[in-house]
Amino acid sequence: MGKFNSILEEKVMPVAAKIGAQRHLLALRDGLIATMPFIVIGSFFLIIANLPIPGYADWMASIFGPTWAAKLSYPVDATFNIMSLIAAFAVAYRLAESYKLDAMSAATISVAAFLLTTPFSFSFTPAGATEGVLVTGAISKAFLSSKGLFVALLFAILSTEIYRWVVKKDIVIKMPEGVPPSVGRSFAALIPGFIVLLVVWVIRLLVEMTPYASINGLVTTLLGDPLKLVGLTLGGTIVAELFVTILWSTGLHGTNIVKSVMEPIWFGAMGDNMTAYQAGQPLPHIVTQQFWDNFIHIGGTGVTFGLVLSMVMFAKSQQMKSLGRLAFAPSIFNINEPLIFGMPIVLNPIMIIPFVVTSIVTVIVTFLGMDMGLVAKPVGIAVPWTMPPIISGYLASGGHISGAIMNVVNIVISFLIYLPFFKIYDNAKKKEEDAMNAGKTKENIA
Amino acid sequence: MNILLCCAAGMSTSLLVTKMEKAAQEQGLEGKIWAVPANQVNLHIDNADVLLLGPQVRFLLPKMKQLGEEKGIPVDAINPVHYGTCNGPEVLKTAINLVNNK
Repeated sequence: MGKFNSILEEKVMPVAAKIGAQRHLLALRDGLIATMPFIVIGSFFLIIANLPIPGYADWMASIFGPTWAAKLSYPVDATFNIMSLIAAFAVAYRLAESYKLDAMSAATISVAAFLLTTPFSFSFTPAGATEGVLVTGAISKAFLSSKGLFVALLFAILSTEIYRWVVKKDIVIKMPEGVPPSVGRSFAALIPGFIVLLVVWVIRLLVEMTPYASINGLVTTLLGDPLKLVGLTLGGTIVAELFVTILWSTGLHGTNIVKSVMEPIWFGAMGDNMTAYQAGQPLPHIVTQQFWDNFIHIGGTGVTFGLVLSMVMFAKSQQMKSLGRLAFAPSIFNINEPLIFGMPIVLNPIMIIPFVVTSIVTVIVTFLGMDMGLVAKPVGIAVPWTMPPIISGYLASGGHISGAIMNVVNIVISFLIYLPFFKIYDNAKKKEEDAMNAGKTKENIA
Repeated sequence: MNILLCCAAGMSTSLLVTKMEKAAQEQGLEGKIWAVPANQVNLHIDNADVLLLGPQVRFLLPKMKQLGEEKGIPVDAINPVHYGTCNGPEVLKTAINLVNNK
């Protein structure tokens, strides 16, 4: 087991540390965090529009008229459905900031670059018609929502890198003598943005000559869809969760590190589900951001809610008793650092086993439950990860009782797997304490 | 003395903050102790005399140390066990030692 720990310390940690501190991945993660408040606010209106109470829709219609649901979707469209636009700004802002460039310029240029990739026209099929009509002079909101997310992220990085390159070149415009120098500078300030937009414009013109027709089509087909195909399967999900738990086992924030790679995919899936949910269509994905936050990481990473329960109920050693008291309240809000570092689970082989196994088992059970239709899938409503379990499953599944039941099932699974390992560890601690106390009594007698 | 703590979301660390504040009060120390997410450290570091990282984000330590050097304040990661058991007095001691030995 010492060997196991040294492998974790020497091989896994440096790689994880590199990924966790990598500039572009950090910018992606921090940029996506900036979209989160809007997504949660939008979700609030989504919940109000879809309260699972019989007769609710009719009651609302009788008070606010038949268009009440459409009116409730205004704020959803201006928050959740512009997540790509916000991401285009925020990712570039964070990346530029990390390079110590003018973040505001880079971010605004990135927004322009993102919109330059986006067609200002789309095909619309009116009710009853068989062929679509090309609507011009309008942006389909799909491009600003999850459908445009990969493009937004990619071009935020591309545009900021070009911006950085141009700034580093320090291009100056020589003005004839007599022109005040600041005039020249004011022109020079336009150069980075001009070059970024020129490059993006040329890319768009080139892509339009290909069968992909638009940058969005190209990125979705070549990057977005394959990534979703791999990342959102049961296999991909298990691999992701293995990384999360193994990293946490070394004491590193596994969720955060894995998120920096996977979050664009999980966010995109969340948006896809929300779009389908809003339109009343079947939900395309099982694994979304909420699959993790509200179904798997109950009590925190490693589904430690069952562990804290066994601690509160069965702890014999003083250490575990007092830790249980300390860790229980945060666990209700899915915060488990006291367990991970205080127990500790970190580099503790007895506890790492159930930590990893529980996670994988709950991923499999939840995934299959949703796949077989026994449990409602997450509808895309963003429930904060700090929402207590059972309520969180209920809300994230769009108000289905099966979501809450899934939470209960996972807590039971976690309790059953953790309990025997906890008892071994607790007994060892108890023995340690007894031996220490016995030693003290002897001293006292002597 | 102003002590800035950071972790991934600033949540679990805020738990420690309350314990440290209590310890500081008992010792008659004045100053501010507060927790922020790692990505907001640059907005807060100017008001801090010392920056402490939660052990789960210690992979950011080289980056934060560099930032600390620029601002002239000491930076270190919190001992995992002190962190996990929310040992306010010990972490406070770490912070005080860092400031005194800088």
